[in-house]
Amino acid sequence: MTPPDPDEAQRAIEYCYDQGWSDGLPLVPASAPLVESFLATTGKDPDEIIGSLEQVGRDCTVYLAAVNAAMAGCRPEYFPVVLAAFEALMRERAARGGGFQSTSGPAPLIVVNGPVRQRLGFNTAGGAFGPGFRPNMTIPRAIGLIVRNAFGIHPHVFEQATQGVPGRWSICVAENEEESPWGPLAADGGVGGGVSAVSTTLTRTMEFVDNRHAPDPEDVLRDFQDTISRTGSQIFPKSAVALVLCPEHAQMFAAAGMSKAEVQNWLLERSGRTVGEFRRAGKAEVTSRRFGPPGAAGAGHADDGPPRADDEFHPILSGPQSIPIIVAGAKNAAISMVVRIFGEWSGTSVPVGDKQ
Amino acid sequence: MPNAILDPTGTATASPGSARPAAARAPRPASLDGARVGLLINTKTNARPFLAEVGRLLAERYGVTVTTRTKTNFAVPEPEDVIKELARESDVVVTGVGDCGSCSAAAAADGVVLEAAGVPVAVIVTDSFRATADAMAALRGAPGYRYAVTAHPVAVLEEEQVKDRAAQVLDDVVALLTQPGE
Repeated sequence: MTPPDPDEAQRAIEYCYDQGWSDGLPLVPASAPLVESFLATTGKDPDEIIGSLEQVGRDCTVYLAAVNAAMAGCRPEYFPVVLAAFEALMRERAARGGGFQSTSGPAPLIVVNGPVRQRLGFNTAGGAFGPGFRPNMTIPRAIGLIVRNAFGIHPHVFEQATQGVPGRWSICVAENEEESPWGPLAADGGVGGGVSAVSTTLTRTMEFVDNRHAPDPEDVLRDFQDTISRTGSQIFPKSAVALVLCPEHAQMFAAAGMSKAEVQNWLLERSGRTVGEFRRAGKAEVTSRRFGPPGAAGAGHADDGPPRADDEFHPILSGPQSIPIIVAGAKNAAISMVVRIFGEWSGTSVPVGDKQ
Repeated sequence: MPNAILDPTGTATASPGSARPAAARAPRPASLDGARVGLLINTKTNARPFLAEVGRLLAERYGVTVTTRTKTNFAVPEPEDVIKELARESDVVVTGVGDCGSCSAAAAADGVVLEAAGVPVAVIVTDSFRATADAMAALRGAPGYRYAVTAHPVAVLEEEQVKDRAAQVLDDVVALLTQPGE
């Protein structure tokens, strides 16, 4: 085989930059034969519309998703995962609304379950948030390029992130099902039976909980509770977090006899602050019974009662969907991550489609 | 013949007919005397007292009657049926306050759509969001669409400060609603 011409490759890469298609990093120039090989992995019609952003009058078709996935550096066989991740993302209310335009600059958290992880070479072990692994890096990048190119959401124009989220368009976690004591996230999202599936939500950032010396699981849970309960991220009466537990923490809770639901419930009951603590942080409104317009995101209380006492506890989580749990990373230290969800998770997972 | 590099945007191959037609700007009344003013409040913090004060000042100055509506979702343009009702019940509309990424764009979109339905609109956005308001107006077929601007931020202002801001922007609002232009 004759080695490729690097000068020609560079001209093609620069051409893509000049068209305004890039997220800042070099793109793989997409040719018709390359995109055909992506389309050949799905039974879907290339013209099928798989997502619309009505406010900007733009649609994403299977074909456009394939072009952007190719440009992101995906291999053709990743394409069904890209389609599932995008479908899951577009189930999020915030993504269909103004999420991609938002000052908060949220990042999709993509979680992959099932045998597709091994088949495509996802990283399921240490360094779960990357980098170093092609499917984990290029699939979320494909989603970012779809938002930029197919939806036309460009920074400083329709994309108005104040600071954005570090690693936006690069967060794709393959759950460490092999070392998890519990069922996969996809089962919580309605896709059980070990089927390959993708779950996606929008997130605003994440913070680690490093607790590797406490022998008592309740102490560790209290450490999580404290991190979850910060006032800084609280902008509505209710919020949501994803817990990305390392195998060591997950196994510790399981060894103490706790199911995933019991860990969720322990934290659901206790995560939050008192009304006075929110008030002293200038956020009394998040504890108000009359927060926001009816039906708005976060409007939690319809009744109008007497003012709440400063020492009244205000819980911030509202149900299992407000605290999905994923097990990821290496079993080499007790370090987990609290991920702030933007809005709420749809609570549904999308099976990775096979070619029909 | 080498392969072409494919376009990932889907816009290069769009048929000419799929481009948005130019949106018409509504004809302006000579004055606001006795006009029916619709306030479309986008629910952002302080938007309600801000627009209410604009309405109160317009009533004081021109004897307008004011009706108030609340956007169901600040992040996206209003649905068609709400636009129709607004157009039916209002001679002019004031909407805002666009002070975030999605709501500034949605405010501009509501303005352009209402104008095309024959209703003069004064859209109010904060100065941090001119780019996204301009981009949305252009996307909706109204490049250069004019709107009123107030300084960012609005959400942190106290009650009296909000009223001052409304008073400061009032002349621009009146000019937008009454001065003919391109």
